[in-house]
Amino acid sequence: MRRIPPRLVGLLAATALLGFAGCGGGDDSGGSETTAAKSGGTATGYGTSFPDYLDPALSYTVDGWQTLWVAYTPLLTYKHEEGVGGSTPVPGLAEELPKITDGGKTYTLTLRKGLKYSDGSPVKASDFEHSIKRVLNLESGGSAFYQNIVGANKYLEGGKANADISGITADDATGVITIKLNEPDGTFPFALAMPFASLVPADTPFANQTKNPPPGTGSFKITAVDGTKGFTLVKNENKPAIDAIPEAKLDTLKFTIVKSAARQGQDIINNKVDYIIDPPIGEQLREARVKMKGRFREITTNSTYYMFLNTRLAPFDNKQVRQAVNYGLNKPALARLFSGLMEPACNFLPPNMEGYEKLDPCPYGDPNGEPDLAKAKQLIQQAGATGAKVTVWGNDEDETRQVTVALADQLKAIGLDARPRIVEGSVYFQTIGNQKTKAQAGFANWFQDFPHPANFMFLVDGASIQETNNQNFGNVNDPVINSTLAKINQNADLAAVAPQYAQLDKRLIDEGLVAPYGNRKLTLTTSDRIAFDQVVWHPLYNVDYTTFALKQ
Amino acid sequence: MFVLLVVMALCAPLYAKHVAHTTPDRNNITGKVTVGGEQRDVVSLDGIPIGPTWQGEYLLGADQNGRDVAVRLLYGARNSMFIALTATAITTILGIILGLLAGYYRGVVDWIISRSMDVLWAIPVLLLGVALGVSLALGGVKLGPLELSGDSLWIPTLIIGVVGVVYLARPLRGEVLRLREQEFVEAARAQGASGPRIMFGEIFPNIIATVLVFFPLLVANAVLLEAALSFLGAGVRDPDPSWGTMIGEGEKVIITQPALTIAPGLMLVLTVLSLNVVGEAVREAIDPRARVRLEQ
Repeated sequence: MRRIPPRLVGLLAATALLGFAGCGGGDDSGGSETTAAKSGGTATGYGTSFPDYLDPALSYTVDGWQTLWVAYTPLLTYKHEEGVGGSTPVPGLAEELPKITDGGKTYTLTLRKGLKYSDGSPVKASDFEHSIKRVLNLESGGSAFYQNIVGANKYLEGGKANADISGITADDATGVITIKLNEPDGTFPFALAMPFASLVPADTPFANQTKNPPPGTGSFKITAVDGTKGFTLVKNENKPAIDAIPEAKLDTLKFTIVKSAARQGQDIINNKVDYIIDPPIGEQLREARVKMKGRFREITTNSTYYMFLNTRLAPFDNKQVRQAVNYGLNKPALARLFSGLMEPACNFLPPNMEGYEKLDPCPYGDPNGEPDLAKAKQLIQQAGATGAKVTVWGNDEDETRQVTVALADQLKAIGLDARPRIVEGSVYFQTIGNQKTKAQAGFANWFQDFPHPANFMFLVDGASIQETNNQNFGNVNDPVINSTLAKINQNADLAAVAPQYAQLDKRLIDEGLVAPYGNRKLTLTTSDRIAFDQVVWHPLYNVDYTTFALKQ
Repeated sequence: MFVLLVVMALCAPLYAKHVAHTTPDRNNITGKVTVGGEQRDVVSLDGIPIGPTWQGEYLLGADQNGRDVAVRLLYGARNSMFIALTATAITTILGIILGLLAGYYRGVVDWIISRSMDVLWAIPVLLLGVALGVSLALGGVKLGPLELSGDSLWIPTLIIGVVGVVYLARPLRGEVLRLREQEFVEAARAQGASGPRIMFGEIFPNIIATVLVFFPLLVANAVLLEAALSFLGAGVRDPDPSWGTMIGEGEKVIITQPALTIAPGLMLVLTVLSLNVVGEAVREAIDPRARVRLEQ
């Protein structure tokens, strides 16, 4: 998932988990009695900005995804559950999980019978190929997830929208869909569950349909798209009878775009709106934590915030220096720069994902404790790196700027001669991803595309190092990590290879190849009218709008 | 007032060391400070920095990184003064040279210089400054032996120095055009004096008064431009303090911590006002009839 501007964290953060360890004072969802709720009615919500797209082929933000997820359904999807329960692909429009044959290169699925779109038209197996063609033809940000399909690159190169993708065959009579891959890819079931792969009718144009979203097969349908001012979700009366797609409890959920964070905070505190997507900020966040009993909680997301250390450049080509940095990071201090909306962490992989095993004890001390500056300084001295000049790169967006300044200050505290280097946000990742920049260290973060460790490990895979647009900013090129990833990334049985991902995570930390400091938190904030304890926070799509219900 | 501000800026290290017991860039996010006998977080768990304590440490409060606002304010004054004075010196030197060349030689030289000035004049100064500031910050400056890193104070200094030239070069050109027709110039020319000798030996002493009147106004203009560029992220860069960056950072918490914005804003107003008063006084002393203002 693309990295996010700070104010848009709530909009774009791709995942959040059940881990309510950091719940604010308002969390009483663990109570034994469930609030009585009614079916039907209208609720209102605020967003800070209009979603990037309201077209499943194009949207690549969670702001868009959390709306599209309840309006469209792919062949595979996720249960509407919190935590790990909602992280594993389950059959969506397909009858069952794919049969994987040919050494992991062929996927066979069968479409359920009698499915209808929200406009009443029938769902056909061939709609799947059309949906994937739209993703590729529209040069969607999600194209890369489907380019491993045989013929996908040829389709792209040909430039003809209605041309065939040879690796996809679909039989409308039987509903059987076969997908052939060029190489085995253990993450492909997750790609099939992404909103990009949602089925839309075969006559959906090859153009952005945000203004008039196509019919879908979700719990809601998107209506009344009003320019960039808002949109409405209306209950889909033709919703397929599928367990994985629950009935919407509300009749209507109306979203309005309100740019002022202060107004959003004020209105939610005063119950003038039922839900806000973004967390309240500043004093309003403090007020929400204290006063919004039973309608506010904080959730740790599947994201990782870390300082990259360029292993090709001095002084970070020295393991002792990298370990010193890990000893010297003041993670609780960094968490305060995110208004407390960060859970200090030791692992590179985020929690509540298969493959995550909490490093306990953390080799560098309790992430919630004070840094071990004495040990860090000692290692720097032993490495002969005292006073080594280091430039810590960061961008000028809200918290990132302060975090970068703090990271440089923390490197100074352990004996390095560090200075922050703040550049404009829109060019930051291209700048540090260019080898000519020779970025020594700096701010980096990642939010999941899907709950699979491979979606994080590519950031430290030697095979992903590039001269430009490099995302392995630290040029981590560890032979053990590289060879293990090459093997386990092909295995579609995540449970079987999860322990190996955990081992790689541990190795990353032990070798100091990255310096992670936390997982971002988001907030769930509703009005008193909503049955708060029934709202599900999904690990990938955040708030599950199908679970919104008005109190009786 | 201006002298007082300069003295305060010069005394910044003393204040930081002996009163505030910190440095302008030292972060103290998880630290505590005793206020009225009570221990308080410098930055709360919610990330909200402490407000004015009205004592030595954190007199005007802290910023989000737990840095002492009063200390950064004084160091910001040093940076603003350094940039404004140095940039104005660059402007003055370039302005004098270009004004003399254009006004004395006229013809092609005048045309080239004047049209170049027109081009510069046509581009909004702030826009030009931001464009240069952002692009130079990425790769720094490498011109032969001159090498500046992207976060060097010299980058905003050079930008402000260069974009300010039009304010001085144009009026000086007009002054030189008038002076070159004077008898003392004719006399020097009749004696066989060279162009450069006439320009710098005869005409230059006669435009010094104009330059002196302009100088404080140019400094005030440079202070404002530096603050604006820094506010927009194209001037002074972290961790170096600047009033402009401080206003920008404070803006986000203006409701809860207004001091973060008001203090640097007030310093900016006082500095510019005092420089304008100085400029007016100089004008009164040198040429009470002259009407000088910087047009933008």
